Amino acid sequence: MVNEQVRNLVIITTAIFLIAPAFVVVYIFVYNNRKKRHILEKQQMQLSFESELAKTQLEVQEQTMQTIGAELHDNIGQLLSLTSLTLSSVELNNKAKARQKIDDSIDLTLRSIKEMRLLGHLLQGDQLVAVGLVEAIRQLVSWMERSGRFEIVYTAGDEIAANRNADKDLIIFRITQEIFNNIIKHAAATEITIDLDYAGGLLELRIADNGVGFVADEAPLVGHGMGIQNIRKRAGIIGGEAVISSDKGAGTQIIVSIPYP
Amino acid sequence: MFDFLTVSTGAELFGLTTAIICLRNDQSLIWRGQILFLLITWLVEIEGYNLKKDYVNALVAKTDLPHGNVWLYNILLIFQAVFISLVFYDVVKVYVNSKYFIIVGLAVLAVFYAIDLSQHGVFKKHNNTTLVMSILFVIYSFSYYYYLINERQHHNIFKLAPFWWVTGTLFFFFGQIASTVFFQILSTIEIKFITTYTIYKILNVILYGCWSYSFICRKWLTNKSEILL
Repeated sequence: MVNEQVRNLVIITTAIFLIAPAFVVVYIFVYNNRKKRHILEKQQMQLSFESELAKTQLEVQEQTMQTIGAELHDNIGQLLSLTSLTLSSVELNNKAKARQKIDDSIDLTLRSIKEMRLLGHLLQGDQLVAVGLVEAIRQLVSWMERSGRFEIVYTAGDEIAANRNADKDLIIFRITQEIFNNIIKHAAATEITIDLDYAGGLLELRIADNGVGFVADEAPLVGHGMGIQNIRKRAGIIGGEAVISSDKGAGTQIIVSIPYP
Repeated sequence: MFDFLTVSTGAELFGLTTAIICLRNDQSLIWRGQILFLLITWLVEIEGYNLKKDYVNALVAKTDLPHGNVWLYNILLIFQAVFISLVFYDVVKVYVNSKYFIIVGLAVLAVFYAIDLSQHGVFKKHNNTTLVMSILFVIYSFSYYYYLINERQHHNIFKLAPFWWVTGTLFFFFGQIASTVFFQILSTIEIKFITTYTIYKILNVILYGCWSYSFICRKWLTNKSEILL
């Protein structure tokens, strides 16, 4: 009887000693499957991030080209036409008048060169990797200021230049580009304030205008450029967020916060 | 004629045959060494069976009792300790340099073996060495699992040869811990042999089943890049 009990005890204990590793093995299978799902999700996210990045790159280029096209047609083209017209009206036997017209032409040509140089800078803004986010936004600001419609205050922290992330720079630049577009097209603003700050691993872009503003529910979600939703989505892709506060007649403030670099 | 073909020797023969088919051309010397190790184990099992038969016959005939087969298994213990440690070194080296850990483990086993030998000679089972060896191999197995689940890369473990080899080893030595601990109790009662042999039969089938599957994975299912790691 005692022998039987001892034997049963031994068998039960051995069985427990066999079940324990079985649980470990089952746990490893479950954990491994979870790891597989996690890796697949990460790969999927990486793919969608890369596709969004490529899309953003194209949008930035498209926007830059549109701006350059408009500038060439509306500004530089006009200046050169005027130069040509002035030069063709020069009367060589009236030396004093001819002198004046040639001086005017030189002035117009210099203005064209200056405009071309500014356009060149704008084109450089497209090469974000080379110039950096701070400088790229500065080019945009210079271009905006030239229209004479806006008084712009742009401040950028020094620390940003030291910390770079080319992919995030591209998306932040595209967001900035689109916010500027919205201001030009819809805000009817006269003053714009842009702050770019970096502190505690967080890059913060604040853009405020004194325009007509809008009621959040009435804001176009799609259609006009990226739309408010798209600005939020783009910020979300790089782990950040965009907070938009506005009201009719009270201007608009957009704060984009991105973990950086 | 084939009365030596018990459940344990049958499982070992199956493992040996699978090893010969799958590993004879393996790139790794350690994995190829499985063939030799399983051959030694199988021959020891057969000789052990014959020695046990002689012992039982002498017991029935009430003649002088021979020494039985325990001494043979005590010698096999040395091969087990060295070879299984080597395979653990091979499967864990992908993640960490375990050379010194394995050497220390073998040194500890050598000390226990010497103590067992000096205390009761070669003809009694080296329970302390067996127990310490089982505990060490269980620790090695858990270490392998730890590195496997913490690895960034994902593996299909259904086809991962080292995983199945370690799993078989873990089952066998985890079970053997219980069996060895209770050997002392079992030795005081007459049902000792029936119970231990049943347990060993189950453990052997699990061990050689898992090992055979790991050899199949090694030959046909594991990616070449994973083998070369």
